[in-house]
Amino acid sequence: MDSEKNSALESKNINELIHDARAPLNRISMQAELIKLVLENDMPKEKALAAADKIINSCQECSQFLEVISHK
Amino acid sequence: MLNILLVDDDEEFTEVACHIIEFLGHDVITACSLEEAYQVLDCNDFDHIFLDFMLPDGSGLHLIDHINKLEKIPYITLITGHPLVKGMLSSLCGPKIGYIAKPLQREDLEQALSNKKTNTARNKSKSSITTKHFGCLIGESTVMKELYTMIERVATTQANVMLMGESGVGKEVVAQAIHIATNQANNSENKLVTTNCGAISKDLITSELFGHEKGAFTGAIAKKEGVFQRAGDGTLFLDEVTEMPIEMQPNLLRVLESKKVTTVGGTKEMDVNCRVISASNRSVAEIAEKKYLREDIYFRLAVFPISIPALRERKEDIPLLANTFLSELNEEYNRNYQWTAVQLKRLVDYDWPGNVRELRHTIHRAFIMSDPKNTAVELAQDFRSPFSSVTEKSHGLTAGQTIEDVEKELIKVTLEDVDGNKSLAAEMLGISTKTLYNRLHAYGEFKED
Repeated sequence: MDSEKNSALESKNINELIHDARAPLNRISMQAELIKLVLENDMPKEKALAAADKIINSCQECSQFLEVISHK
Repeated sequence: MLNILLVDDDEEFTEVACHIIEFLGHDVITACSLEEAYQVLDCNDFDHIFLDFMLPDGSGLHLIDHINKLEKIPYITLITGHPLVKGMLSSLCGPKIGYIAKPLQREDLEQALSNKKTNTARNKSKSSITTKHFGCLIGESTVMKELYTMIERVATTQANVMLMGESGVGKEVVAQAIHIATNQANNSENKLVTTNCGAISKDLITSELFGHEKGAFTGAIAKKEGVFQRAGDGTLFLDEVTEMPIEMQPNLLRVLESKKVTTVGGTKEMDVNCRVISASNRSVAEIAEKKYLREDIYFRLAVFPISIPALRERKEDIPLLANTFLSELNEEYNRNYQWTAVQLKRLVDYDWPGNVRELRHTIHRAFIMSDPKNTAVELAQDFRSPFSSVTEKSHGLTAGQTIEDVEKELIKVTLEDVDGNKSLAAEMLGISTKTLYNRLHAYGEFKED
């Protein structure tokens, strides 16, 4: 599955890749905002932990885009 | 508390955005495609819609057309993932449409929602039901519908387009519409770059079009990208292309033919992938006769020529345009001016030699002159511009003309004005229909219908 995803990424041009990379960056930004809300309002810490996990995943996704872009 | 619809195909984003919007004290429903959004809108009223520009089944702009037909029109905030599209969106954003760019922050959402215009979704007014085709073109006349069809067709191709039309008809707006339609057709967010060939000095035009290397000539203190490079895979709009010096045209021709560009002082050739839309307010006959463009370059630029109708050829659109312009000014300055039927008729009756630009200018002037204490617009008694062609077209008398010539001219003009209706023309001239036929017979111009 990963190799399929990689080859799909490699077939895209650099502008498309840069555009696509903004989606995980957007998620990272919003998940970070959610963590701030949880901490500022004493909400259950599980919510913050789940958001942090999602940030980590999105960082990996961004890294994948950068890797493909660096080979263009 | 506002009712909010969030339309975006990124599920993780919509989930986290919902948490944040709910925390801000609002109700929110999500949709991940245009189709789903249409269904949700059928059953719910919303105060505010956050709308992704690019959705799996089409552009968010399609949804705007749908929303404009709703009884209660919500405020719309477009979400774009591409900063380059921001310029384009800001130009098509009307008073009830805003935009924010990814990556989003909580304060972006707060600002969009705290906009005073969102607090109460306004009731539908005359102007708000005006559809903006491709997000920017107004008009429901037959000639405009033909124009929309041409734009839709050419948007699916890469053909170069030449726009022709009188000054003020909106060539740049049509270029923008083609660009938007192309992005919609390709599901892309490419860029529109505009340059005015008539506004650049002869010495700088090559550098503006193709770019230059640092030190390529005196004053080239830094490397500069040309408009072909800046347009990338998008659209390059060359306004007033016929004002480009003829000796510079071979350089442009070479780029259009080879699809390669070399910067001034550079050695490396770069690919050109953009569509070129050019515009001129000169007629094809004039371009050919006076050689404003070389023949070879004309055929390269005008693969698909589009003639934009003058405003007087689509008079039925004048009330739509007048209401839209007035409504935009009302929104901007928080006024509530309204046209009277008589004023609209005066606007429709005028020939608008300066086209939509002149109409907008006249309305803006009238708006400024109006008394803020009431809702009447102070439309000047004579709003004709010094450029008006009405005077040029007037059939004035000159010494030496015979009475017969003047009478013949008067009959001709009257018949033209009533589309050849002889009974109506006779009535207007104050003569019987029989007398009119007799005169026409005498001039040898009467033909049996």
